[in-house]
Amino acid sequence: MRTIIVGGGKLGYKLAESLSQEDNDVVVIDIDSNTLERIHDNLDVLTIKANGTQLHTLEQLHISSCDLVVAVTGSDETNILVSIIAKKKGCKKVIARIRNPEYANQVEFIRSTMEIDYIVNPELATAKEIAKYLLKSQAVYMEDFAKGKIGMADFRVQNLTGIAGKKIRELGMTEPLLVVAISRNGEVIIPYGDTEILSTDTIHLMGQKESIKEFSKNYDSPISRRNVRKVLILGGGRSTYYLANKLLHNGVDIKIIEQDKERCKYLAENLKGGLVIHGDGTDINLLTSENISDMDALVSLTGFDEENLLISLLAKQCGVDKVVAKVSRSNYIPIIEQLGIDTAVNPILITASDILRFIQGGRVVSISLLLGGKAEVLEIIAHNESKIVGKKLSQLGLPKGIIIGSILHENKVIIPDGDSIIHAGDRVIVFCLQSEVASLEKYFYRAKGGLINELWNSYKGFGKSTSV
Amino acid sequence: MNYGIVIKVLGNLLLFEAAALLLPLGVAFYYRENSALAFIYTILLLIILGGMMAKIPHVSKKIRSKEGLVIVASGWVFVSFFGALPFVLDGSIPSIIDAFFETVSGLTTTGATIIDNIEVLPRSILFWRSFTHWLGGMGILVLTLAVLPAIGVGGFQIFKAESPGPVSDKLVPRMRKTATILYTAYVGITLLQIIMLLFGRLSLYEAAIHTFGTVGTGGFSIYNNSIGAYRSSYVVIVISIFMIASGVNFSLYYELYKRNWKEIFKNSELRLYLSIIALSVLLITFNLYGKVYVTFFETFKQALFQTASIITTTGYATTNYEEWTHFSQGVLFFLMFVGGCAGSTGGSIKVIRLLILLKLVIREISKILHPRAVVPVRINGKMISPDVIAGVSSFFFLYLLLLVMGSLLISLEGIGLVSSISSVAATLGNIGPGFDFVGPTQTYSAFSVPSKLLLSLMMLFGRLELYTIFILLMPDFWNERI
Repeated sequence: MRTIIVGGGKLGYKLAESLSQEDNDVVVIDIDSNTLERIHDNLDVLTIKANGTQLHTLEQLHISSCDLVVAVTGSDETNILVSIIAKKKGCKKVIARIRNPEYANQVEFIRSTMEIDYIVNPELATAKEIAKYLLKSQAVYMEDFAKGKIGMADFRVQNLTGIAGKKIRELGMTEPLLVVAISRNGEVIIPYGDTEILSTDTIHLMGQKESIKEFSKNYDSPISRRNVRKVLILGGGRSTYYLANKLLHNGVDIKIIEQDKERCKYLAENLKGGLVIHGDGTDINLLTSENISDMDALVSLTGFDEENLLISLLAKQCGVDKVVAKVSRSNYIPIIEQLGIDTAVNPILITASDILRFIQGGRVVSISLLLGGKAEVLEIIAHNESKIVGKKLSQLGLPKGIIIGSILHENKVIIPDGDSIIHAGDRVIVFCLQSEVASLEKYFYRAKGGLINELWNSYKGFGKSTSV
Repeated sequence: MNYGIVIKVLGNLLLFEAAALLLPLGVAFYYRENSALAFIYTILLLIILGGMMAKIPHVSKKIRSKEGLVIVASGWVFVSFFGALPFVLDGSIPSIIDAFFETVSGLTTTGATIIDNIEVLPRSILFWRSFTHWLGGMGILVLTLAVLPAIGVGGFQIFKAESPGPVSDKLVPRMRKTATILYTAYVGITLLQIIMLLFGRLSLYEAAIHTFGTVGTGGFSIYNNSIGAYRSSYVVIVISIFMIASGVNFSLYYELYKRNWKEIFKNSELRLYLSIIALSVLLITFNLYGKVYVTFFETFKQALFQTASIITTTGYATTNYEEWTHFSQGVLFFLMFVGGCAGSTGGSIKVIRLLILLKLVIREISKILHPRAVVPVRINGKMISPDVIAGVSSFFFLYLLLLVMGSLLISLEGIGLVSSISSVAATLGNIGPGFDFVGPTQTYSAFSVPSKLLLSLMMLFGRLELYTIFILLMPDFWNERI
C-alpha cells in the first residue's frame, strides 16, 4: 500500500513507524528538515521536504495511484486543504486531523461535503478514553473484545496478594484466564509455565470479563467500588473541554484548574456547569484548599508530560482514588508503570490506533496497542481458508511472539490450550509482539497472489494505539 | 555500539562473498584449471566463518549510523582480505600483501595492479580479479542489502556510508527496493555491454571481463596492453560509451525508466559531467591531431577513450599517454580530480562536489560585490543546505590533505615527484594508472610493502569517501564513555 503522510510531528512519526514496519511504502512530507532527518534516520520511509498543500508536490508523488493520504500537520485548515486536493487528484482514501473544538460540531459536514474519508480529533478521542475509564465502576482498566464478552486487563503485581514470586503454572487459577504477557521494566515478556512473576511486574490477563472481575476480587487488595462523583481536572486545553462536557453530561461534578486567565474565561463561558479556577495546578496549597483528598479522581491534562506525571503521583499520595495523567511522548512509557500511576493516556497512540482501525476497515474487528506499541492485540474473524482453521493449536507452529488469547466460538468463550481447534467464523483474540506482526498474515489470511493478496497487504501492517 | 548486529551483518557479508566466489569456481571447472582448489578452500573457510558470525545472538536489530560506519568500513577490509586468499592459495600472487593490494584495488574499482605479466595467470583467477570490480562498483554491502532479507531501517545507514556522493537519497520508500532498483540498472547495463562486446567478436569470457572492468569503472584487463590489445575501433568506442554511462548517477536510469525526461535533462551534475568530457575530448583531439596521430578519427578515438577512462576513474588504456604532449597529459591529470557523478560507480571527488564548490566560489564573489546579498547555493533548482556545503568543503580539503601527506610518504620510495603525486592521486581517486613510474604501461609491483599498504588504505579512503574510514581511526569514536 502506498501512503503519504503530510506532517512529521509526533502523530505523523508514530503512523509512519507503524505503517512502515510492514509491507507499506510510506512517504512523509514536512517543511522542516530537522523533523525529516529524525524520521529518515530511524524509519525505512522516504522523506520529502516540501509543502504538502502544493499540487506540484503531490503530483510528483503520483498522488493518483496512492492508497492513502493522512494529513496531520499542526493546522486544521492545512489538513483539510491537503485532504481535498489529494481526494480530487484520485487518492483512494484521505484522513485529516481536525482538533479545533469550534469545528467539532461541523465535523460531519466537513467530512461529507469535502469527501474526507475519516477525521480524527486526538483531544476528543483522549477525552472519550478518559471518560470511559472514569465512568466505569471497576477499579481495573479493561479493554473489551468480542462485543464485550472478552476482556483484557493489566494488574500490577504489587497490588495483588500472593502472586509475586510464583511461577505461572503455580498460580492455580480457578477461572479460565490466560496470562498473555508480562511487562517487566518496560519490556514485554511472553510467559511460559516456568516464568516466575516478580513483584515489580505488570501482568496482562485475558479471558471472560466476569472471570477477570472474579480474579480481581480474589487477589486484589480491597477495591473501592464507589462511583466517580467528583473530578478535578488540571489544565484547560482542548481535551479538558471535551472531557468536561462528557463528564457534565453524565452528572459528574468537575473542577478545572487552569493557569491562563483568558482560557479560564473561555471555559467558564462555554461549559454548561462545573467550576473553573484560575491558578497554578502544581501549587500544593491551592490543591489542598480545593480539597484534593476529597476527590474521586484527578485528571492531569496540562501541556507538560512531566508536570502531569508528578501531579498524579502527588494526588495518589493525597489519597485520590483514580488518577489519570496525559503523556504525549512515548519515551516515558517504560517508566510509567514503575511510577505507580493508575492510568496514563497517550493522545498520540490513541489517535494512531483510531486511524489504523479505520484503515483496516472490517478486516480486523478491533485493535489495541500495548506498551507504546511493543505489542498489539487484534480481534480477527477466522476465515475458512486461513492456515489456523481446523488444526490443533500445538500443530500450527506459531512463533513465540504470537499468542492466541481467547476464542469466541458460537458465543462461548474458550481459553485455548494446545488441543484447541479454531473453526471458521470464530472470533480470535490474538496477542502479538510488534516484531511478529508481519508473520500474522501468514497464519491468519489466505496466502494468494493477485488482488486478494493486495487487499491483505493493505490490511496488514498497521498497528499501534495504546490506550492505557 | 551494538556489536551483535555488526558481527551478524558481517557474517552475512562473508557468506555472500562465498556465493560470489562460486562464479570464478565455475570458470575454473569450465577451463579445467587447478586454481579451482584455491576457490574451494576459500569458499569453505568463508562459509564456516560467516556461518558462525551470522549465528551470533544480537540484543537489538537497531543499526545506528555508528554501526553502519563500522559495518561498511570493516566489511570492506574483511571482504578484501578473504578475496585475496584465492590469489595466494593458487600461487598466482604468492605474497599476501600483494594479493591484498590487488583485491582492494579490484573491489574499490581502482584497477592498479602489482602483476607485471598478467597474461600467464589462470583464467579463473583473472575472472575473479575482474569480478571484484563488479562487486565493489555499486557497493558490495548494498548488494547484500538487495539480496538478503531486509535489515530494515539500519539498511539506510549502511547505504549512506557506502554509496558515493555528498547526499544519498532513497529512490523509493523502501531501502531494500532502492537497492534492488539500483542493482537492476547495474545488471542491465552489464548485460547490454556484454552483448555489445559479443558483437565485436569477443569471446564471452573476454566480453565479461572487460564489462566488469567498465561498468564497475575498475580497469583490470587480461592483457598487459589493456584495451590496446584490441585493434577494433568498435570495441574501443563501445567501451568508451559504457565507461561514460557508468559514471552517471544510477538513479537517473530509474528516472529514465520512469520516463522523467525533465529530471534527466535538467540535472546540472549530468550536464557538467558531459560538458567536461566533451571539452576535454575536443582539447586533446586538437592538441594531438597531426602531432601524435595521423588521422583525425584515430586522434578522436584515443582522446575519447582516455578522457572517459580517466574521468570515470576506470583506468583502461588503449595507448601509452606518456607519449602525448604535456598539455594533453595536463588535461588528463586534471580529470583525475573530477571523477564520476554522485551515485555512480566512479571514484574521485565527484562532479557534484566540484559543482557545489564552484557555486560557492561564485557566491563568495558576489558577496564581495554585494556584502548584504543573500545568495542560496542551488543545485537542480533546490537549495543546498549549509550542512552539505560544509561537508563538501571539508571533504575537498581532506582529499587534498590526504593527497599531500600520501605523496610525501610515497616520495620516500625515491621516485620522482610526478610519480609520487600521481600514484597517490590514482589510488585515492580509484583510477589505477598515473604518470611516469606508475604510467599506463607500468605496474605498482616495485613499491615497498609499507607503500603498498599505504596505497591500499588510500584506495579504501577514496572508495568509501574518506570519512567512513577516517572515523574508525578516531579514538573518540571507540570511546563509549562519552
